[in-house]
Amino acid sequence: MTIDLTQFHDAFFEESFEALDSMEAALLKLDIGAPDKELINTIFRVAHSIKGGSATFGFSDIASFTHSLETLLDELRSGAMQVTLAMSDLLLKSVDVMRAMLRAVQQKQPIDAQRVSDLQFDLELMIVQKNATPTTVAPPAAEEPTQPATASAAATSEPATEPAQEPPRWEISFRPYPELFARGNDPLRMMRELAELGQLDSTVDVGGLPPFAELNPQTCHLAWNLVLSGHVSEASIRQVFEWAEGDCELRIRLTNPPPTALVTPEPKAVTATEPEATAATEPAQVAAIPTPTAPAAPPAAVVPASAPVPVAAVPAASAAKADAPIPAAADSGSIRVSVEKIDELMNTVGELVITQAMLSQLGSKLEGPTAEKLRAGLAQLERNMRELQESVMRVRMLPINVVFSRFPRMVRDLAQRLGKQIELKLTGEQTELDKTVLEKIGDPLVHLVRNSIDHGIEAPQVRTAAGKPAAGTVHLDACHRGGNIAVEVSDDGGGLDKNRILAKARERGLVNPNDVLTDEQIYELIFLPGFSTAEKTTDLSGRGVGMDVVRRNIKELGGKIELRSEAGKGSKTIITLPLTLAIVDGQSVAVGSETYIVPLISIVESMQLKSANVSRLSGRGEVFSFRGYYLPIVRLYEVFGVQPRTKVLEEGLVVVAEGEGHQRVGLFVDDLLGQQQVVIKSLEANYGHVEGVSGATILGDGSVALILDVPGMIRTLSVRSAA
Amino acid sequence: MKKRKKASPSASRRARGGPVSGPSKEPSTLRLPAECTVSGAAALKEQLAGLIDDPLSVTLDITSLQRIDTAALQVITAFVRERAGQGRPLEWHGSQPVLTTAAQLLGLTSLLKLPA
Repeated sequence: MTIDLTQFHDAFFEESFEALDSMEAALLKLDIGAPDKELINTIFRVAHSIKGGSATFGFSDIASFTHSLETLLDELRSGAMQVTLAMSDLLLKSVDVMRAMLRAVQQKQPIDAQRVSDLQFDLELMIVQKNATPTTVAPPAAEEPTQPATASAAATSEPATEPAQEPPRWEISFRPYPELFARGNDPLRMMRELAELGQLDSTVDVGGLPPFAELNPQTCHLAWNLVLSGHVSEASIRQVFEWAEGDCELRIRLTNPPPTALVTPEPKAVTATEPEATAATEPAQVAAIPTPTAPAAPPAAVVPASAPVPVAAVPAASAAKADAPIPAAADSGSIRVSVEKIDELMNTVGELVITQAMLSQLGSKLEGPTAEKLRAGLAQLERNMRELQESVMRVRMLPINVVFSRFPRMVRDLAQRLGKQIELKLTGEQTELDKTVLEKIGDPLVHLVRNSIDHGIEAPQVRTAAGKPAAGTVHLDACHRGGNIAVEVSDDGGGLDKNRILAKARERGLVNPNDVLTDEQIYELIFLPGFSTAEKTTDLSGRGVGMDVVRRNIKELGGKIELRSEAGKGSKTIITLPLTLAIVDGQSVAVGSETYIVPLISIVESMQLKSANVSRLSGRGEVFSFRGYYLPIVRLYEVFGVQPRTKVLEEGLVVVAEGEGHQRVGLFVDDLLGQQQVVIKSLEANYGHVEGVSGATILGDGSVALILDVPGMIRTLSVRSAA
Repeated sequence: MKKRKKASPSASRRARGGPVSGPSKEPSTLRLPAECTVSGAAALKEQLAGLIDDPLSVTLDITSLQRIDTAALQVITAFVRERAGQGRPLEWHGSQPVLTTAAQLLGLTSLLKLPA
């Protein structure tokens, strides 16, 4: 029996990528000059755990690189080096390189060794340079807040010089659970790291080691009692065991001075602080002298646990014990499930909804004494089904922050390259969206944000001249709006230049020279394929493969995109997206014996036509007047070639539906049947793409209904009428 | 004794099939592979199991050893302890700082009866 460590690779990669994301976020939050210690600790922890994990799995390149990185971060952490802009750039590059390395290893591709070694060289150079210029070394006082280890040396030297000479002595009881090895943890690695922190004295407990024949080589039977002497904080010890969290029982306590010192306390130490006290009557006081050694350490570690003060020692030990399992318990609050499993579940629920609808329809036709009971049961079933469906859908929901989180870095890099000052504002990051929608919204958003930075926000001097703050603002916002999600990208830049857009469109022959367009219509031009007004093409944007693709992507998601702009004040793009791609709120309409579903998001209103409102245009079909506009009438029975109940407009109904950019049509149908949520079945996957149809669904009676794609239908019709 | 080629990551797997043990009437020698880690711990145990009751002296040859982890050391510790308990001799051949350091860090030096 051998352990295949590769089975843990996926978890390692996933965790590492997540950790890198948080490292990047922390790096971006880091203030040059006055960095937050906690952020530096977060960054350090990521590097440290990736180093540990890669070493365990034998990814030596990554381990070696992260080691250099860790060394540099350690210098930052100790305050020996300061965060500079150059360093923050270097660290961000390191995040990229680590990501690339992990991805390469994950996909079994070669690592870009040159890039890695170049950056590693830079990292090491920075460390060396620091050592060459001792003036940059911060005074030890600056380290105090989060550096209990070093701070303790400074603190203790004052009240009592005698005990300060003895470094803190930590007793660590490390009892791995049997599965420690199987989780990819190696105690040896931990001991090695502990030995780097200070003087390590290791005692093994082989009491649990079974006879050779009964030994399971993959099970850990050993335990250790360790004594670590050195100016080390409890946090840094815990960090060594970070990867074994939940796989071991860990107790850490400070035993300073060692019990022997307490038995025969040195009179000098006592008189130095408490001239009245005697060592015999006040053992606690003696113990208290070294307490300043851990002023910043967690409370559990402050107690100088030792034999004469058992009351204090017990909570310390139990607190340490209670400490370890907590993260494990927090971990079990969530599980990783593959998307396929959820999709499968979703699919089954969809089938159930159909079955339930079928039963309800059957039940409604039954008569007799039991029919009433059946109907009550069916009503209950329907309620439960809806709840189940909603629950399953919620499982697929993720906060939009998943997408937003990539922007701080991107904005920072772009701003630097373009020499602009940009402030990024993110709001509504917790708004939840279906995972599929979320995955597809990323690229369009990136494009919009790039556009804002490249074209929208002006150069600092232009801004100041216009009386605006030198730094421009790009604002990303997400919120729920009437059963949909609205994502807005806005900036306080120059806004869209209507005249330039119009001139460009005329130049390209997209607009008739004599046509007068409204503002909205002008903005619409931006979405035409091949349209770009950028004066000079940068590698960021301006190649004209932009907004049309953005719009197509949004359309594919069943969403809408809208542009608003005010010259000199900025522009705003509003994307409206459905919560999910699996279910659509639809209005079912009847045409002859067929039922069609019109998505509610496309419907403006439904009405009965009066013949007075209908006109016939030669060559362009029928139109009807709707709020001052003339809209074309689309007879659905003609489009789909079915036999309708009526062909007389006054006898049927017209559904006013909206496609792209406020293009509206009137869909002529026999009747409206009802509104319902329908589960979308892909037509393409089961049959083939049909223009004007976005999918199909199965109705309660088992029949299939097509879901109309109104924008697609309008497109086809306009092509047809233009031809 | 033949020199082994430089260890490769798959050395532990290759070594699985080939314990260098002498005929049963002569003192046996087991050469530990270059990589003695958790993934090869079961194979190592199998090899050691063949030697556990050997009344003659058993030699553990560590000249090729390049990497060892706790899981492998645990197997060896159990082996050494059991042999010692039965009063059967065991010897180490070669010296490897890798092993010495690892044993020291894990507090196993005396249990493993490593030469000082």
